[in-house]
Amino acid sequence: MRTFQMQRISAIMLLVFLTIHMIVVHYPPFHIDFNQIIIRMANPVWKAIDIAFLFFVLMHALAGSYAVLTDVERFSRAKRYLAGAAIVIGLFAFYYGTKTILAFQPPV
Amino acid sequence: MYTSSGFISFVLRRITGVALVVYLFMHMWVIGSVNAGPEVFDARLAFVQQPLFKLLEVALLAAVVYHAIDGIRLLVVHYFNVTQYRKSLFYAVMVVSVLLVIAGGVPIILFMFEG
Amino acid sequence: MANNGTYPTVTVRIQRFDPDTDKKPYLEDFEVALKPGTTVLDALHEIKTHQDGSVTYRRSCRHAICGSCAMHVNGKNELVCKAPLKDRLDRKGRIVIRPLPYLPIIKDLVVDRSSFWEQYLRVKPWLVPPEDVPEKEFRMSPEEVAALNNAETCIMCGACYSSCQVIALNKQYIGPHALLKAFLRVMDPRDTIPGERLADLDGGDGVFRCHTIFNCIDACPKNLNPTQAIETLRKLAQKRQAFEEARVERQKHLNEPIPAR
Repeated sequence: MRTFQMQRISAIMLLVFLTIHMIVVHYPPFHIDFNQIIIRMANPVWKAIDIAFLFFVLMHALAGSYAVLTDVERFSRAKRYLAGAAIVIGLFAFYYGTKTILAFQPPV
Repeated sequence: MYTSSGFISFVLRRITGVALVVYLFMHMWVIGSVNAGPEVFDARLAFVQQPLFKLLEVALLAAVVYHAIDGIRLLVVHYFNVTQYRKSLFYAVMVVSVLLVIAGGVPIILFMFEG
Repeated sequence: MANNGTYPTVTVRIQRFDPDTDKKPYLEDFEVALKPGTTVLDALHEIKTHQDGSVTYRRSCRHAICGSCAMHVNGKNELVCKAPLKDRLDRKGRIVIRPLPYLPIIKDLVVDRSSFWEQYLRVKPWLVPPEDVPEKEFRMSPEEVAALNNAETCIMCGACYSSCQVIALNKQYIGPHALLKAFLRVMDPRDTIPGERLADLDGGDGVFRCHTIFNCIDACPKNLNPTQAIETLRKLAQKRQAFEEARVERQKHLNEPIPAR
């Protein structure tokens, strides 16, 4: 799949997920504390939504960084390495993020 | 140097995009502290809820909102034949972004003073 | 053409650079009489003929069709031969002429446009017609001809190419001029290799490198729209196979008359 298509698809998904995230998690502003998050995250649907959000946000961030770097002629010569680095960072961050989301369990 | 509305939106898109990537990994680091237990999590969250960070949150909101609305503009340009309205679209993005940032930023500032 | 006091004079500020003597470009002011109907190119002629013969610039036809005299006037790329001097003056009655930006300067207002032509050749700017050429003519519908209107009057002046910020960052990018030409060839029902062309444009240097900055539209002296052409090519590149098959189907009837509606 082209970087361009990855950016478009993840951008449209982010418009949905980020809106949900902002409204549910941050508005109206309050002191975030652990128990409030645990109550919401007890529902597995929220875990699924957060994992999908994580997937698309990482896709958009890394494909975007790749596009920013390969725009510069010097870096565009090393685009294979950049793409490899983006995939490695993406896989690691997705693993770490998923672990974090699943760690929000009531009996922590 | 060739400046135009398109160039300004391009530069802003790049700057906000890179800033948001940096923020994303910081955000994952803060939330990821839950792996180390609730005490570490609450400590790190308390650290990032100081007044200075509240102001940075408004800047973050501005970056997110601008990047998102500008992205919608690009989607519109891609799927509809509207290149002749490029200047109007640029100003529309600016106006909508400013309104959304005010609407979203005022509650953050008010909350900051309430403590 | 000496000014005998009947016409107001204006300041023409020209960016000078002689690679043999100068380390970096500098600006030099000249005074020119503002006669009715003077174009920016006329002012350059006046300076070169009567004031400083070393001022160097490209020009040829003076009728906005050869594409030689594109320059950076008051921050915008345009053909100086069709720019009225009177309309380009700023509030201080001054005009600033620089060479096309983002390209290597050879001397004064002359830039090295070799990357422009290299990228142009990359998209195979010629038509590849079917093997069986008809005795009289290929038949195209009015709609098919109208779709090409956007691209066919390009005069290869380089105004769009050197206004593009992607070109400024990366000279490997094909550029708006060549993509517009590719659009012309891809959309032409007589062309037999649209799939191959779209595959070439699909790489990292092609249509997806464009960031929709719109400078090419603003710069074009022929009011063409490279951005829209690139957006169209992007859509076609994503459904290349279907487009290729439709073209093969279309070329079976290329020698037949267009049915009247």
